[in-house]
Amino acid sequence: MSTVLSNSAPCIGIIANPVSARDIRRIVANAGNLQITDRVSMLLRLLSAAGSLGVKRALMMPDKGGVSAMLIRAIAREHDLQHAFPSVEFLDMVPTTTVNDTFTAARLLREAGVKVIVVLGGDGTHRAVVRECRDIPITGMSTGTNNAFPELREPTITGLAVGLYASGQLSAAQALVPNKLLEVSINDGARTDIALVDVVISSDRFIGARALWKMDSLSAVYLSFAEPQAIGLSAIGSLLQPLGRRAPGGLAVELSDNPALRRLQLLAPIAPGMVRPVGIAQWQPMPAGQPFTVAQRAGVVALDGEREMTFDTGDRVQITLRENAFPTVDVATCLQLAADQGLFRHISQSN
Amino acid sequence: MADSNPFPLAKDALLACYRRMRTIREFEDRLHVDFSRGDIPGFVHLYAGEEATAVGIMSHLGDGDRIASTHRGHGHCIAKGVDVVAMMKEIYGRIGGCGNGKGGSMHIADLSKGMMGANGILGAGAPLICGAALAAKYRKKNEVGICFVGDGASNQGTFLESLNLAAVWNLPVVFVVENNGYAESTSRDYATAVNSYVDRASGFGLPGITVDGTDFFGVYEAAGEVIKRAREGGGPSLLECKMIRFHGHFEGDAQTYRAPGETEDNRANHDCLKIFNAHVTGAKVISAAELQAIDTEVLALIDDAVVQAKAAPLPTLADLASDVYVTY
Repeated sequence: MSTVLSNSAPCIGIIANPVSARDIRRIVANAGNLQITDRVSMLLRLLSAAGSLGVKRALMMPDKGGVSAMLIRAIAREHDLQHAFPSVEFLDMVPTTTVNDTFTAARLLREAGVKVIVVLGGDGTHRAVVRECRDIPITGMSTGTNNAFPELREPTITGLAVGLYASGQLSAAQALVPNKLLEVSINDGARTDIALVDVVISSDRFIGARALWKMDSLSAVYLSFAEPQAIGLSAIGSLLQPLGRRAPGGLAVELSDNPALRRLQLLAPIAPGMVRPVGIAQWQPMPAGQPFTVAQRAGVVALDGEREMTFDTGDRVQITLRENAFPTVDVATCLQLAADQGLFRHISQSN
Repeated sequence: MADSNPFPLAKDALLACYRRMRTIREFEDRLHVDFSRGDIPGFVHLYAGEEATAVGIMSHLGDGDRIASTHRGHGHCIAKGVDVVAMMKEIYGRIGGCGNGKGGSMHIADLSKGMMGANGILGAGAPLICGAALAAKYRKKNEVGICFVGDGASNQGTFLESLNLAAVWNLPVVFVVENNGYAESTSRDYATAVNSYVDRASGFGLPGITVDGTDFFGVYEAAGEVIKRAREGGGPSLLECKMIRFHGHFEGDAQTYRAPGETEDNRANHDCLKIFNAHVTGAKVISAAELQAIDTEVLALIDDAVVQAKAAPLPTLADLASDVYVTY
């Protein structure tokens, strides 16, 4: 996409993953499945709200999983009903139905100069966007399986916050907030990746169906934040020592079922519908910028709940927490400021 | 060498899975050549590129477990253990084939292996497998039924009715949607209102999951869970495998619907056999030489199957009325 946008044409980017919330946890743990129809309805509500605050265009990742096809039909229907919506244009890319689509779309959206990228997906989708593009603010909409990073919120409200920032009614200093992440390095940078919430070390040594749900294979958990109301592996940390997403540092937890090493057993909601005892050997804070070396000799590194990187005997795996790593739109603060400054009142009177 | 085998299968089992996948590939690539020469009567629809799905699923099944296949059934047959020589004879239309040469590619069946048949009617396997699964439920032997259906055929009423029936009767069934991206040549975005097979299952109260069908280990692990669930009385579920079809919908298909370079990219970067080989050799569990030895052995097997098929007699007029009604 060669389009470069001017400031006078507020435009947002959208990356909606059609296949998040489709993994094996629906079989082993009764996890939820946000249907394509619901994903499209969420996007319509977000677009409607953003459009009401002056967003005229949205650039979106195309997909072969049904979201873009249904959205096109839905917007045509809305136009037939004389409902106003921002125009939605699709990025010039051929979908591969892999995570590479998210990488490509994030890069193209940055090149196009969008002010913000709206992400619809789980922790993994958000991670993929940030991996490719750390400098464009993102705002998340959760597809709701096992997510700690995107907050559950009505998309209309998210759309208003996006509209306030994209249209310039709120500045970056007002609307954005910095986030932490975890960097993974194998053999001093020979292979690298990131996680937004959790890096988990498993004794499994194959990627397979990707999702993690068997506790007996896990040996360590590294967390950028750990909120006690969150579902998933970050609950292991949050129920030991809660750590806010804006607080400094991270948390490292060593797991063990060996009675000689285990200090306590923790009951934690490690996946939807799965509350399991977890053997805890020790835990400690992770100061920003300080690498933690993984003790396990061979296994797999899971990033935000999915097995991603295998390593073998002799490989050196290090995890480092980074602060101020990427910006997100702080939806609650945006709406609070809008209320305080009477921004919606003004819009209401002018109409 | 690594400390131990990191995979969920022992080395012998991994080699057996590779042999089955390689056999499917060699079988299909040979048919591609032989069909173009005009040696084979009727139509063939080739499974090459999709081997990891068939073998990843069938590795969890025994002969007592039933499968209902599709028009693209050779891979399912081989993965389920049907004799390759008998299959080749059938496709060549010869006596000694699975159907004594009267069924051809789309009607290969072998009940002794639990293979209920390829099927020339799209979506027709789904109600058949519900019957087999109902029988399994009554027999109480913890057997399961697996129905394969393509992404296009999942729009058929038979498939949707079967999802409902399986859910209502809590049948031990797994509906496998083999999503190779093309309903013959028609885009799913055009022809499918809600382009998600997992959502289809949700509409009937069945859990559904999606897995990368080009990754043997991903399919193996996911299939293991859905089959275990069915075997233990947990009821039906849907498994969508996203996969790559190397050849056209049918042999002779010009494939004008594909993007430029798509086929080359598929063969270079999304070949499930190359992906499997990279996993097992990378982990130093199986050597390249061991895989090569299987390749050589399989090549000889397929060569022999073609020689035997060509040498076998054709059915005569006297055979026309036989096998029309069969007692099982």
